[in-house]
Amino acid sequence: MKPAPFDYIRPATVAQAVDALDQHAGMARVLAGGQSLVPMLGMRLMRPSALIDINGLEDELGRIECSGSETTVGALVRYATLERSPVISERLPLLAHVVRYIGDRQVRNRGTLGGAVAQSDPTGEMGLVCLALGASVLARGSGGERTIPIEQFFEGSYANVLEPEELLVALRFPLAPSRCRFFERGRKHNDFALISVVAVGSEDADGRWHDVRIALGGINDRPVLAPAAAARLEGARWDAAAIEEAAQLALEVADPPDDVRASADYRRHLVPVHVRRVLTDLAAGEDR
Amino acid sequence: MSETTIERDRTAQRPNGIGADAPRKEDDRLLRGDGRFTDDVDPARALHMAVGRCPFPHARILAVDVSAASELEGVRQILVGADVARRSEPISVLRPVPGAPPLPFYALAQDVAVFEGQPIVSVVATSRAIAEDAVELIEIDYDPLPHVSDTIGALEPDAPVLHPGVLSSNLLATNPQGAGEPEERMAQADVVVEDRFHINRVTGLPMETRAIVAQWRPGARELTVHHSTQVPHLVRKQLAESLRMVEGEIRVIAGDVGGGFGLKLGVYPEDVLACLHAIDLRQPVKWVEDRLEHFRATTHARESVHDFRIGATADGRILAMTNTYTTDLGGLNSPFGSAQLSTIVFTGPYKVEDGYVERRVAITNKTPIGAYRGYGQPEVNFARERLIDRLARRVGKDPLELRRQNMLRPEDLPFRNPGGGLYDSGDYLATLELVVDAVDYDGLRRAGRGPRPDGRLVGVGLTSFVERTGYASAKFLANRGSQFGAHESVTLRANRSGGIDLYTGTPTFGQSSETAFAQVCASVIGIDFHAIRVHAGDTGATPLNTGAFASRTMIAAAGALKQASERLRDKALRIAAWRLERDGVEGLAIDGDVVRDPDDPGRSIALAEVFTAAIIGQGIPIGEEPGLEATAHFEPEEAAYAFGSAAAVVAVDPETGDFAIERFVMSHDCGVAVNPLLVEGQVQGALAQGFGAALSEDLTYDPDTGQLVNGTMLDYFVPTAADIPEVELHHTAVPSPVTTFGVRGVGEIGTIPPGAAIANAVCDALAGEGVELTALPVTPERVWRALQQARNRSETS
Repeated sequence: MKPAPFDYIRPATVAQAVDALDQHAGMARVLAGGQSLVPMLGMRLMRPSALIDINGLEDELGRIECSGSETTVGALVRYATLERSPVISERLPLLAHVVRYIGDRQVRNRGTLGGAVAQSDPTGEMGLVCLALGASVLARGSGGERTIPIEQFFEGSYANVLEPEELLVALRFPLAPSRCRFFERGRKHNDFALISVVAVGSEDADGRWHDVRIALGGINDRPVLAPAAAARLEGARWDAAAIEEAAQLALEVADPPDDVRASADYRRHLVPVHVRRVLTDLAAGEDR
Repeated sequence: MSETTIERDRTAQRPNGIGADAPRKEDDRLLRGDGRFTDDVDPARALHMAVGRCPFPHARILAVDVSAASELEGVRQILVGADVARRSEPISVLRPVPGAPPLPFYALAQDVAVFEGQPIVSVVATSRAIAEDAVELIEIDYDPLPHVSDTIGALEPDAPVLHPGVLSSNLLATNPQGAGEPEERMAQADVVVEDRFHINRVTGLPMETRAIVAQWRPGARELTVHHSTQVPHLVRKQLAESLRMVEGEIRVIAGDVGGGFGLKLGVYPEDVLACLHAIDLRQPVKWVEDRLEHFRATTHARESVHDFRIGATADGRILAMTNTYTTDLGGLNSPFGSAQLSTIVFTGPYKVEDGYVERRVAITNKTPIGAYRGYGQPEVNFARERLIDRLARRVGKDPLELRRQNMLRPEDLPFRNPGGGLYDSGDYLATLELVVDAVDYDGLRRAGRGPRPDGRLVGVGLTSFVERTGYASAKFLANRGSQFGAHESVTLRANRSGGIDLYTGTPTFGQSSETAFAQVCASVIGIDFHAIRVHAGDTGATPLNTGAFASRTMIAAAGALKQASERLRDKALRIAAWRLERDGVEGLAIDGDVVRDPDDPGRSIALAEVFTAAIIGQGIPIGEEPGLEATAHFEPEEAAYAFGSAAAVVAVDPETGDFAIERFVMSHDCGVAVNPLLVEGQVQGALAQGFGAALSEDLTYDPDTGQLVNGTMLDYFVPTAADIPEVELHHTAVPSPVTTFGVRGVGEIGTIPPGAAIANAVCDALAGEGVELTALPVTPERVWRALQQARNRSETS
């Protein structure tokens, strides 16, 4: 389990990192926390020509910034920072909450938000929450910076729309709905999710829900929204019948994999069960 | 029960003597980073080995081209199959399958490889990374052959025969065993319950993988082998055989070993390869198995299929049991081969005189199976205990009542069971009553079967079991062709500082033998526990012994330790008496660091003085030999049987099959505990592995490609601390009459109950749905599927 040979580059600025990516023409990989990349190198499942280590770019990539209702989280912000940041707790409590479902303490100390989203693991918590919260991905390439809505970011299992020479620099979050609930189930503690469900929304004084979004992880080759389920509940009061209908509608987007963690049949069975339970809990006032 | 529960013996004769919670001698160095594992051995000029492995389950090797790899800078040597066949003998086995023809194999595959991961080539280079680069450059032309992954499928007439030169099918051997007239009893039975039970393939996952550092000094004619093993003296024997050397030329040193669990019981191909390279290159060669290799090249365990049957009267009295089971050997033999103890304990703690058990050994294109903590006992326990619950439902009795009704009573022992085991002594029912009381079984029964407000259904499951620990005798082993004895050997040597050096071939791999051995010596001699220094695992310095497996260490070593301690003590007292100008030793005793005369407390003599006198031969009685050293060998008269019971309480979500283990209570008896703290640690550790095998671990081969699909830590679900339920442990202590001090083995018993207790609890919770689990592991998906099947059955019927 020794990596194949590679060059090691430690840029001093984001511009240098983007240059290095450009020079290696898609053959380089970015090293942030390394929690997924390093094992893959060891197993020789990845053979990049170079590793571009961005850990020296804390100044540019390690900040959490607030601007009006928006919150921008740098790509190099580590899970442990999200977990403990008062700003995140106040503005994006769901993001802080799900960190406890990620790996172990060592992983949380090293792993980064940008790394997780760029890795695009279909079972990952960070991508799922970014999707549920309607974040945007900020990416910089030699031609400058662009903003990618998260709904258009994931392309498949461990695949996304980033160009090979683009660096993910930040996630930008809009104002989060006031209410959220997360559920995840794995084969063992904090293992890859065989199913994860997020529901967010805001309940008005009249008991009607708005800005409802429901997202599923581990059920498709990427984290997905369940728009029909959310639409059924948008502007509605949530009674058991409405929730059950929404839970069944969530199945419309499900295309679950068959793997060592669970069969597709079982995952499909679990989708409406856990969507229903998450929504029921949320309606009952049990957040997160 | 309180009179049989161990009282922690704070008033043991010696501080840290037998019965005391002595602190582990091993911990200081391990916790401070001063342990020395094989990878810590870093001789100058060391080279590194990497192994190229077959990527197919079954393939003919057509050509191997090493030219590109040879030219890589840093590569020193490459061995291919033909080199190894010329230079070495096939690897021997230590515990052959009775009645089986030999299945010889070399360290590198010759024409055909029979499992994914089998070594094909080996490379030595100046670094491991370069050696791995070189392995990638070796071009191997394979012709993939038809493979067979399924244990039962391997025995079908149309299955490809994997060793056609030796066998005409994939059935390596059939081992029958029985007593009485089981078929007549079955015919007389009012009720017969039977089913097929599938046991999952798992592995022990020691934290330290296998590792070796081999160094050949031709002038000294010594091959020094640092090795991560449970059995250094047996490794030396096997290496001598494979390398065509004499044992005197080989010194095997097992330093600290990071877990063994039965996986490190002898020589593997990589050991022979590292030695061959080291001899050729005259430089040290190191190989440390990585985790990817470990999942494919270190023995797996447990996979078996049991066709179990119980016949009983209408009121639940068991008349007979039979079990025909097939163990999966994988593609080749391993030092211990597939599990043998499903035979000897198949009837468990029940009074069954008529029984038949037959073990079949099947060969498949998978990683070889070897010994693993429990070695057949958790497997057969699952089958039998699931059927006991089925029988209870059939005859309309509570499973607890049925167990009480059929369990052997103390007055029935000693008892020869139909599997051939001789149960020495014990109060089996007492352990069952302990767990039943602890979980408030009657209260749970009274609570009824309705769902909780959260929709979950509660169930309670029981299991009772015996565990064979140690070996019956050298004669028993000889009848089975085993290449080792049933005894243990130990040497004690006094030193001038007033301490004792204790030499043992049993290495230190987490089982705390250093601590327990010193406790026995401290008790018998009277010397301070801390004055005993244990030297373990170096064949150049320790008496030839058998090694640490089969829960046998203390079973056999206790006798050797006692005898050697007595001899050394008695001689020391004779010398002390003479130096104190006394007529005899009567009344004299060693007390810590002095020999004391209890009648005259003022008169004492330092042990250091006594020992020094003996060592230099000055100032000792006329006629007394100089020196102060004792070696003893001890074979117990029989194996000792540990026993116990467990209860699990689960809450099952009938919608998802998910379940929580809300209580897990185990009681067990290991006779006299040398160190109750260590006993608890052993049981807890084995339980953790038992929970893994019962709940989540499952090495899975793709039936189409024949490849292992979850051979990484990412996909093999070994439980973490967070996944294991809290365990409540209770003990009884019935001394065994067949061992020194009345000890029973304790290393493996925890692996036995989880599968049976948890499955029985889940089935109890879902009894209303008619769910019967017949396979491990018990995953939520498997429970959900069983529920679906039960519901479909009830709809169609």
